[in-house]
Amino acid sequence: MSFPSTLNGPGRDEPGQEFSLQWRSSRHARRLLTLGLAALFIATVARRPEFAGLAAPALLLLAAGRSQHRPPRVSLGARPTTRRAFEGELVAIDVLIEGQGGCSVRWILHPGHEIEPVGPTAADGPQARFTFSPQRWGRRPIGTLDVVLRDRWRLAEGHLTVNLPTLDCYPAPAQQRTQVVLSRLPNRLGEHAARTFGEGIEFAGVREYVPGDRQRSINWPASTRRGRLQVNTFAAERSQDVVLLVDGTSDVGEPGSSALDLALRGAAAAARAYLDARDRVGVITYRWGAVGWLGPGLGRRQVYRIIDAMLASERGGAGPAGVASGTSMHRLPRAALPPGALVVVFSPLLDQRFVETLRDMRERGFTMLVVDVLNADPPVRLRMPSRGGLGGSSPRANTDRMARRIWQMEQEAIRFSLRELGVPVVRWDGISSLDLPLARYTRRPLIASGSRR
Amino acid sequence: MTRFLGPVRLGPFVIGPVDTRAAAIRAAAILLGAGCVVWATVPPVHKGLANLALILAICGVAGGALRLILAGVPVPEDAFLLPAPTQVWLRFLGILRQVPWEEGAVIGLVWLEVLHPSRPWHTAILGAALVAYLLATHLAESNAGPGTLRPQVRVLAVGAGLLALGAGAGMLPATGPGAGAALLRLVAAVALIAAAALVLPYVARRE
Repeated sequence: MSFPSTLNGPGRDEPGQEFSLQWRSSRHARRLLTLGLAALFIATVARRPEFAGLAAPALLLLAAGRSQHRPPRVSLGARPTTRRAFEGELVAIDVLIEGQGGCSVRWILHPGHEIEPVGPTAADGPQARFTFSPQRWGRRPIGTLDVVLRDRWRLAEGHLTVNLPTLDCYPAPAQQRTQVVLSRLPNRLGEHAARTFGEGIEFAGVREYVPGDRQRSINWPASTRRGRLQVNTFAAERSQDVVLLVDGTSDVGEPGSSALDLALRGAAAAARAYLDARDRVGVITYRWGAVGWLGPGLGRRQVYRIIDAMLASERGGAGPAGVASGTSMHRLPRAALPPGALVVVFSPLLDQRFVETLRDMRERGFTMLVVDVLNADPPVRLRMPSRGGLGGSSPRANTDRMARRIWQMEQEAIRFSLRELGVPVVRWDGISSLDLPLARYTRRPLIASGSRR
Repeated sequence: MTRFLGPVRLGPFVIGPVDTRAAAIRAAAILLGAGCVVWATVPPVHKGLANLALILAICGVAGGALRLILAGVPVPEDAFLLPAPTQVWLRFLGILRQVPWEEGAVIGLVWLEVLHPSRPWHTAILGAALVAYLLATHLAESNAGPGTLRPQVRVLAVGAGLLALGAGAGMLPATGPGAGAALLRLVAAVALIAAAALVLPYVARRE
C-alpha cells in the first residue's frame, strides 16, 4: 500500500517537486493482448490462418507501443490562488506538470472534507485549474490529486497521487456596522464621541466665552440672544479597548451552524466593526483547561490575527499571542484584559464554569455584553400513540418534554442571573445582522462599570 | 457577504460537462460491440458450447456499455453512514468498474467465430470490427478524441494489411491433403506477424 506524497504549493517562480511515476499497462493494452493471444491460440488449435491475421493488428500495436518513451519522474507544482479564505469563498488551485514528454496528462481532483468543488473535478492537459469553495472554518486539506499520464500509443499509464496543500479557512464574518460604545472612554484619540468636551466635531453645547477661545467657535445667534459672547463646545473623540471573549467549551447544534460556528462568525464581525472604528480589539478564547489570548491592537491586520488566534486556540495551539493554563481569568496579563475595556462575550452559556467566570469578571469591574449563540435545543422523541388509546403520547416522550422544559428554565435562570448582575444578554440566531440584537445598546453609550448612572 | 479577497478568475483549462463528441464515441463503442456480437453469431450454430460463448459475449458487451454510460456517476469517498439502497448501488458501480467486460466479450466473440465453418473474409471483418470496438471503448473511457489515434495510423494500416493477408492465406487451397499443409500455412502467417512486429518499432520510432 502506498501513501500519497504531499505537494507543497510552490510560489509563482518556484519549480515544482519531483515525483516518481508508477507505469503499468493500460486497460487498452490488456484488451489488445487478450484479443491477440486468444486469436493466436485459436489459430494454433484450429489450424486456421485467418485467426492469425485477426491477431495481427492487436499484436502489432502492442509491439510498436513498447518503443515509446515513458518518463520515470515528473515535476509537479500546485499553486492555490490563496492560502487563506473565508467560508464559501471561491478559491482556485493551478496545477502544472513538467517533464512528461509526449505523454498526455489527465488530472482528477478528489476534494477533501468540507471542500466543495465548483465545476468539473477532472481536466486534461499539462496544466489545469480547479475551483472549489471551503464550506467550514478550520485548516482544511484541499484534497488529493490523481495524475494519470498516458504514452502516445496509450498502452501504458503512469499513475501518481499527491496530497494538495492545506487551506486556512476563516469563519465568514457576520454583518455588523454599529458598535457598542462605553460611557467612559480612555483618554486616547479615536472616533467615538466622549462625554467630555474636546476638539471633536460633534456639537456638545454652548458656554460663555473666556479669553483664549477661538474666534471661529463663537456662536453668534446665541451671543445675540444672551447679550454676551457664547462659544460652541464639542465632544472629545476617544477610542476604547474591546476584548472579544469566545467560549469554545461547547459546540452544540448542526455542523455549519453550531454554537461555536456562530461564536467565531460573530467575533470576526465584531472585530471588523470595532477595528473600522479605530478601536483597539483583542480576543480571549476560553476552552477546557486553558485560556488563549491576543492583546488588543489596531489596524486591518488585527482582524486576521484575531481569527488566527481563535482558530489556533480551537486546534489547541498558542496562536500568535499566549496561552494561560487553567480556566481562570486571574492569570491573564493586564495586556490581554486591560482595565476599563468593553468585553463582548460570544457564548451559548452552557458551561457553568464559564458562567462563573463571567460573574467573577463582572465583580472585578469589567463592563460586559453577552451575545447568546445557542441555537439548538435538546432533542425530543417524536410523539408516539400510547397503547391504551388514541392521540396519547408515550411516557418517554413526556419525560423528554419535561426534561427539555426544565433545561430551558435553567437556561433562562442563568441569563436572568447575569442580567441581574448588570450583564446584558442578547440572543443572536447567526442569520440576521448582529446590529439587530445589539441595537438597544448601540443607540446610546453603555454605562461603564463604576460610572455614575 | 463581504470578502477581503478579490474574485477568482476562472482559467481557460476548465473542462466543461460531457459534450456531444464524447457521447458519440460512447455510442459508437456500444454499437460496434453489438455489431460484433451479431456478426459473430449469424448464422447461429449449436455446437461446442456456442450458447455459453454467446452469453459471455453479450454480457461482456452489455457490461462494457453500462460501464461507459455510468462512467460519470460520482462515488462518495465516505460511504459508511449511507442508506442501504445507496450502498447497494455503490457496490454495483464498483463491480461494474472493476470487471474486465471487454476481455470477456473478445474471448466470447472469437470463440463464437471459430465454431463456424471456415469463412476467412468474415473473420477478417470481425477482426477489424473488434479492433475498432476496442479503440472506441478506450477513447470513450479516457474521454479522448479520435485525433489521439493519429500516431497509430501507420501501424493500424499495416495491421489491416496483415489481416487481409491472413484472410487470403485462409482462402488459399491447401498444397496437399492432410493437417501438415494447414499447419504450414499457419506457421507462415504467424512468422509474417512476428517479422512485422520486430520491424515495426523501428518504423514507428522514425515518426
